[in-house]
Amino acid sequence: MTGAQAVVAALERAGVETIFGYPGGAIMPLYDALYEHRVRHVLVRHEAAAAFAASGYARTSGRAGVCCATSGPGATNLVTGLLDAMMDSVPLVAITGQVRTELMGTDGFQEADVCAITQPVTKRNFLVSDASRIGETIAEAFALALHGRPGPVLVDIPNDVLKARLDDAAVREPMTRGGAGPRVSDAAVRDAVARIRCARRPVAIIGGGVRSGAVDLYRMFVAMLGLPHAATINALGAAAPGDETYLGMLGMHGLKGANKAVQRADLIVALGMRFDDRVTGKPDRFAREAAVIHADIDATEFGKIVTADVALHGDLRATLRALVDELARGHVPRFDDWAAEARQLGGPLPSDRVEHDELSATGVLDRLFDAIPDDAIVTTDVGQHQMWAAQRARPAHPRKYATSAGLGAMGFGFPAGIGAAYANPGTPVYAIVGDGGFQMCLPELATLRRYDVPVKIVLIDNQNLGMVRQWQELFFSERYSATNLADNPDFVAIARAYGIDAFAVTAPSHAGDVIARFVASRGPALLHCACHPTENVWPMIPAGMTVDDLMEARA
Amino acid sequence: MTCDLTLRDVRSVARIVNLAHRFNCRTTHIAVQADATVTARFAFAGPEVALSRLRAQIDRILAYEANPT
Repeated sequence: MTGAQAVVAALERAGVETIFGYPGGAIMPLYDALYEHRVRHVLVRHEAAAAFAASGYARTSGRAGVCCATSGPGATNLVTGLLDAMMDSVPLVAITGQVRTELMGTDGFQEADVCAITQPVTKRNFLVSDASRIGETIAEAFALALHGRPGPVLVDIPNDVLKARLDDAAVREPMTRGGAGPRVSDAAVRDAVARIRCARRPVAIIGGGVRSGAVDLYRMFVAMLGLPHAATINALGAAAPGDETYLGMLGMHGLKGANKAVQRADLIVALGMRFDDRVTGKPDRFAREAAVIHADIDATEFGKIVTADVALHGDLRATLRALVDELARGHVPRFDDWAAEARQLGGPLPSDRVEHDELSATGVLDRLFDAIPDDAIVTTDVGQHQMWAAQRARPAHPRKYATSAGLGAMGFGFPAGIGAAYANPGTPVYAIVGDGGFQMCLPELATLRRYDVPVKIVLIDNQNLGMVRQWQELFFSERYSATNLADNPDFVAIARAYGIDAFAVTAPSHAGDVIARFVASRGPALLHCACHPTENVWPMIPAGMTVDDLMEARA
Repeated sequence: MTCDLTLRDVRSVARIVNLAHRFNCRTTHIAVQADATVTARFAFAGPEVALSRLRAQIDRILAYEANPT
């Protein structure tokens, strides 16, 4: 067995079925080992797309996503995807080739100190210098990626180590893995429940931690209390379909009712969320009247932004189980009146300056969400369309929705959709993208075609880097610097050149018909929507402000 | 703020120094003994909130080093 074959064997032991990658010199032995192997390799057209596809795979399946790249530029092209996974707690394992050991430190061809570069963007990384340790290192990488708060791990393997012949007897067995993790304290649970029983206006906020298998218990928890609740963008889909106590997405472009209810709350039950600045605005003015119960698997999050009155350190599923059990031992309060009041704090989403005969992005997305199947997976890119989609989407489960939330990495949405399609064969996947981000990953149309991946791309083309343009309009005196994309290419022609079916919508009068045909089409397809160029996202809480400063239209 | 740490990976020393710099803290003292395990003593100076954030990040590094086995 060679080192490269040991890598593939370790991937098999970890249950890996699909990896996303791009070959190159240093990693050629691994590609040789993958040749005709049952671990399926998906050739992307840029390493950044490999990391994003692996992320889409992981986000929509709960399994670790795997990507690989060669040394130097191949590895550095993974960095954005690794940081994206770090920010959103996505389990990812990246395997990179490295130059031969004897060349390391000589500025060799395609040499980069990848472990140093990726140290801040991974939970850990490993440089494997002894082929006999490949198996145990990769096993540890998967354990670490999935254990506790999930995240990315990188394994860097020099070319000569990949080529080295291994005496099977010398191969070190994978270590026993997986500690139990932190167990939430009984006293903290009792304290939390006592505060819930005393509260008059409690609001739950659910975050990405709900993806840890906690959806059912979360729904049970809010239902047993009639508790009004809001979600961060990473937890869209946590609420049960039709749940009237659900107030919607929270934050800068969240729904008014969700933001106002949180601001009026006397108790915040924050579950698996990290008080991102896009959620809190100005932290010292966030939910000023509220005590805070904060549940998280990562103790680092307690007190990082918002001080917790009760910290519940542990796995969210176990924490919710403990809360439900403790509540059931005594009085179970109901908050129906407050929930009804909280619902009245909102209102319909504000519309913007689009005339009835012009195509609005929000109109397209409303029609799209009405048309797609309930079990569809949606991925989005980053920008205005991301916020419009998040305001409107009602995914059936958090694993049905994937977006680059914490990092806000443009170019994520389309390759993430490819990864989601591989993780969920037979499930319809819609990648909603803007004209800016789509052009960061256009070559992945070739990936779509080669493997006939049934991803449907919804391109909201407003001929602008719309979110930046919106901020320039509102906060930079309408000085539109480097945001105009009026010279965009013909996206329909590009898609067809790659052999992808393409549909075009230019006016609301025929949007419904075109969207229906697009949704009914088989295989990969592009829907190009030529939208109004200056439609803005409302509501908006300007950065560093609070819901008291919420804008629903231009001043 | 003084931290006496036992690390599994000596590279974490560099990571901690970089984090201190990022959080506008000064690393005023480092002493490292790297054998089978790495023992390190750090001292940092800086704003209280930054030191608190640094300590939390150091704890996360320790957790990620220790957790999977």
